[in-house]
Amino acid sequence: MEIFLSAIFSGTSRGAIYALAALGLVLVWRGAGVVNFAQMGQAMFTTYIASTLIGHHYSYWLAFIVALISGGILGAFVDLTVMRPLSRKRSSNFLDSPAMHSTIPVIASLGILGILQSGAGIFWAAEERGFPTPVNSLGLVIGGKTMPFTAFDLFVIGTVFITLVITTYFFKGTGMGLAMRASALNSEVARLSGIKIGSMRTLSWTISGVASSLAGLLVTPSANLSPSTLDLILIIGFTAAVVGGLDSLLGSVIGGFALGLLISFVNVYDTPEDIFLAILVVLLAVLLIRPQGLLGSKEVRRV
Amino acid sequence: MLEIKDLVTEYGSVKALNGVSLVAHVGKITTVIGANGAGKSTLLRTISALEQPRSGNISWNGKSIVGLSPEKIVRLGIAHVPEGHAVISQLSVEENISMGALFRMRSNKVDVKNAQQEMYQLFPRLEERKNQLAGSLSGGERQMLAISRALVSRPSLLLLDEPSLGLAPLIVEQIIQTINDLCRNTGLTVLLVEQNANTALSVADHGILLSLGSVVADLPAAQMKADVSLRAAYLGY
Repeated sequence: MEIFLSAIFSGTSRGAIYALAALGLVLVWRGAGVVNFAQMGQAMFTTYIASTLIGHHYSYWLAFIVALISGGILGAFVDLTVMRPLSRKRSSNFLDSPAMHSTIPVIASLGILGILQSGAGIFWAAEERGFPTPVNSLGLVIGGKTMPFTAFDLFVIGTVFITLVITTYFFKGTGMGLAMRASALNSEVARLSGIKIGSMRTLSWTISGVASSLAGLLVTPSANLSPSTLDLILIIGFTAAVVGGLDSLLGSVIGGFALGLLISFVNVYDTPEDIFLAILVVLLAVLLIRPQGLLGSKEVRRV
Repeated sequence: MLEIKDLVTEYGSVKALNGVSLVAHVGKITTVIGANGAGKSTLLRTISALEQPRSGNISWNGKSIVGLSPEKIVRLGIAHVPEGHAVISQLSVEENISMGALFRMRSNKVDVKNAQQEMYQLFPRLEERKNQLAGSLSGGERQMLAISRALVSRPSLLLLDEPSLGLAPLIVEQIIQTINDLCRNTGLTVLLVEQNANTALSVADHGILLSLGSVVADLPAAQMKADVSLRAAYLGY
């Protein structure tokens, strides 16, 4: 029972982070039509910024806030300097074909990932370093009994929960959120309604940048920080997004939690070596049985 | 007044509009009729900047609007209801309507609320269904929603693309009558594109007949309606 509960808790806390990573991917996919492979590279970069601040004896919370803000700025920067100019380029019939239209940004995002990883290697040296937690990451003790979860687990779950509530309110309850959904669903009708779809795209990149930066900050304490540590989160986050349905924000969150629990159970009851096998099996099963994902809509299946 | 001079719009090497000139007067319904492929939709899409013209000019109240983005053009009071009941089916009826007024939200919140209520008075069926997804509406209701989405921005010029497409005659009658009332009561200028020439000419003040991207007749609506030979030549009935 003890082991089972502990697997549930660590799975939920892991899943919360994957949900964030998946959310970041889906935001950019829906809002800008790009699968952003640079996403966790951006998060790695902002985690390094936080790590540097903490290294200079600033408080964790200041570093945390600065990392989130720079995540947003980096996201907007990628869109404004690379993605937007690319989408405007009309150079030849071949490059302008629909297939290339969706491929070029993906290749560009891989290029950005490369730049970020080698940039981080140059600035901060490629060796691994630790990253602190704001609260204790040992088993929480309540009334003399050690609980099957840590204070950091609670912090992660709480932070992600708050993020999801804010995101949901933003999309469902504000005019800006409505404008973003409208331009993602039908850009022509959105433009005719006076919505500035270019700004909405940049906003998607910005929010995604903040969400991924948060995922980076929350996952790094358990994995050490190096230019390529977060690649793994991208893979799991991407799987979570596909499982949930690439165009559904709620689906990506559910997918994230489901994968977190799966990984945790495999880890506890089987061996850690089987984690990737299990992920692959789930991915294949979803693609075979329900290719649009749990909550995805049928038409959108371009990847 | 909407004034179009020698407008040319191309898709690749195909000239969809080949030097179109026309005028739509304030507070009047001007209808553009013509067979499939005559360039009617392209005309509206060029006015609202969804397509860029190769040459020619479009001016609204004396100022040229060529080269502006669709978002800017909406802000000048020109609202376009594109062909095919253009609503966003994954959003609710209420969201589709508020979407049309988002850009005025900050400057005049109270008026936006009033405008939304007016849409429900205009089409009470939309109010009954305001929390439903637009995708669950019937064709007629969708067209009402698409028109409300445009009207809620309080335009002074409404570009309507084939509102009758695929709808039952009774619904068409109701929609056209609503537009007619709006035009007569509020001074709205309407540019109505229709394949259904009889319906369009019966409410319009002025008729323009397009064929293969060129204007072939520009007459008062009643006169065009009476001209049997013109219709036989270009519309086939």
